[in-house]
Amino acid sequence: MINRLLIANRGEIAVRIIRACRELGIESVAVYSDADADALHVRLADRAIRIGPAPAAESYLAIPALIEAARGAGAQAIHPGYGFLSERAAFAKACAEAGLIFVGPPADVIARMGSKVGARRLMQAHDVPVVPGETPSRADPAALETAASRVGYPLLLKPSAGGGGIGMRVVREASALAAASEASRREARAAFGDDELYVERLIERARHVEVQVLGDAHGRVLHFFERECSVQRRHQKVIEESPSPAVTPALRQRMVAAAVAAARAAAYRNAGTVEFLVEGLGDEARFYFLEMNTRLQVEHPVTEAVTGVDLVAAQLRVASGEDLALDQEDIVQRGHAIECRIYAEDPLHGFLPQAGRVLRYREPSGPGVRVDSGITEGAAVPVQYDPLLAKLVVHAETRQLAIARARAALKSFVILGIRTNVPYLLAILEHPSFTAGEIDTGFLDRDHGTLGAAVRDEPPLEAIVAAAAEDVGGANVRTDIADARGNADPWSSLSGWRIAR
Amino acid sequence: MTRRRVVRSGSDAFVVSIEHDGRVRVNDTDLTVAAAGPGQWRVVDAGGRAHLAYAARSSEGVWVHLDGRVFLLEIGNAARADARKPPETDGNLTAPMPATVLSVRVQPGAKISAGETLLVLEAMKMELPIRAPRDGVVRAVHCREGELVQPGVVLVDLS
Repeated sequence: MINRLLIANRGEIAVRIIRACRELGIESVAVYSDADADALHVRLADRAIRIGPAPAAESYLAIPALIEAARGAGAQAIHPGYGFLSERAAFAKACAEAGLIFVGPPADVIARMGSKVGARRLMQAHDVPVVPGETPSRADPAALETAASRVGYPLLLKPSAGGGGIGMRVVREASALAAASEASRREARAAFGDDELYVERLIERARHVEVQVLGDAHGRVLHFFERECSVQRRHQKVIEESPSPAVTPALRQRMVAAAVAAARAAAYRNAGTVEFLVEGLGDEARFYFLEMNTRLQVEHPVTEAVTGVDLVAAQLRVASGEDLALDQEDIVQRGHAIECRIYAEDPLHGFLPQAGRVLRYREPSGPGVRVDSGITEGAAVPVQYDPLLAKLVVHAETRQLAIARARAALKSFVILGIRTNVPYLLAILEHPSFTAGEIDTGFLDRDHGTLGAAVRDEPPLEAIVAAAAEDVGGANVRTDIADARGNADPWSSLSGWRIAR
Repeated sequence: MTRRRVVRSGSDAFVVSIEHDGRVRVNDTDLTVAAAGPGQWRVVDAGGRAHLAYAARSSEGVWVHLDGRVFLLEIGNAARADARKPPETDGNLTAPMPATVLSVRVQPGAKISAGETLLVLEAMKMELPIRAPRDGVVRAVHCREGELVQPGVVLVDLS
């Protein structure tokens, strides 16, 4: 087993990996930028190394600084987390060249699956269904038009090198193709340095369902069933669950078999995710390969909850060359899990990302409630990085009970000082389409109006009273926790604490 | 001794009187309050039902969490209950959050029209255009490209 691991990430995922290290007896090495010197992951790790100034390009994306930090700390391996360098083949290669274990697939696998066009061809060659589409030659200006008319409208233009919805355009008629492709190429060039496009049939009201896989060092590929990720706002996942309320046992059987075939075709190693679009309902639903994410996913905890397998620990075992001591028959889905992503963004003002200091922070807890968080009370949420603060993951016997558990937990998740999307998450969990399980990837954007209205809220008198009491009582608070109609004087404390300012 | 506070939410103002024993009167409603931990308050409503609220003071007001709902409420003295707060963004423009100035599109003296982008900020990987709220003339620009600006700081003065 690896005995010292550098974690090339920050926030909740760095904390998550540190926890796995602690259980496995691995020494953890955190890295941080100047904006994160007091961050939770820095405080929790066994050691921490400064890698650069606040901008990600000079810190969490700086390959030489990370390799240097790993060497300096005597680490044998690097876990990239998700985002940042996790899907950069160049980083995996640099690790290998420095004699460090990259906790993930080999560089050539990352490169192979990183090209959407290349991955599509590979899947087609191995009979994994793909969305009908074509990659027109860049050399021939008329090729795009020809490909578009063969695929048919409405269609989707996608940058070949893309991700995160950047440069994607829906084109509903031929007359709109030229303008859309120009914009798409421009954005792709700016974001990825490559403007190759491919044309794909637009599948309307599709669901996004993905399958977790894990390949070991001996060529064995296991799957951990599906995650339903259709609750997305502008291509950003917001709520994920497992099992999918729309996947029937027969469909599941076909999808996991396709996912394992896809991972084998890619000669996959370590944890990965095969994403599918699902069209239609019931056993007859069709599914299409979308892409493969060659890393740990943000939403991996829902799979951990239903299968009981610690995926990060499994990643570290695979990276160490150990056997997993796990057979496919051992892996079953039990109960229902839901993850809510808590973002520092203001649902009342166009989801504007929020930065600032967390003045009050209380995590929910209890049976079936897990919080993966990168913050504590007093933490500064910097402006430079992704606004994901924490993830609430609940597990219960049924979907209905899991929804009730998620709602109760969100209502007692206290984050004050910066705006978060918690009221929005509560509105989604109460929406009849969500509770009925009738969701597709367009759900949030379509129902934006009703969900937006649900988060607009007038303060009840109890909130007004609490505000006044906090303002009056901050300097002089009683210590006993008596019944409020009791006789104690709330303002003349006996000895007791004061609220730190 | 009775303590009084005026709590504002949008255009609504609530006059809150808190007695020594925890009795509270808000406008014409009676409630009670007791401390339940640091920044934690147990409020019992007129019907006898208890609610647990969390609160934290900040320079912008008091933040309150109640059953998954979050409010940022302004506090004033009872003496100033009737004083109206001057409108905030009349004639100047501020950063909504800590951000980096990506580009400055106007110079002092420039005539601008409502909706025109004056500067572009970047925060958390998102571009945030700052637009003119009305027609006017740029009196001064208080930031430059690449600068990190804090919320509430005036970036552009309009006349």
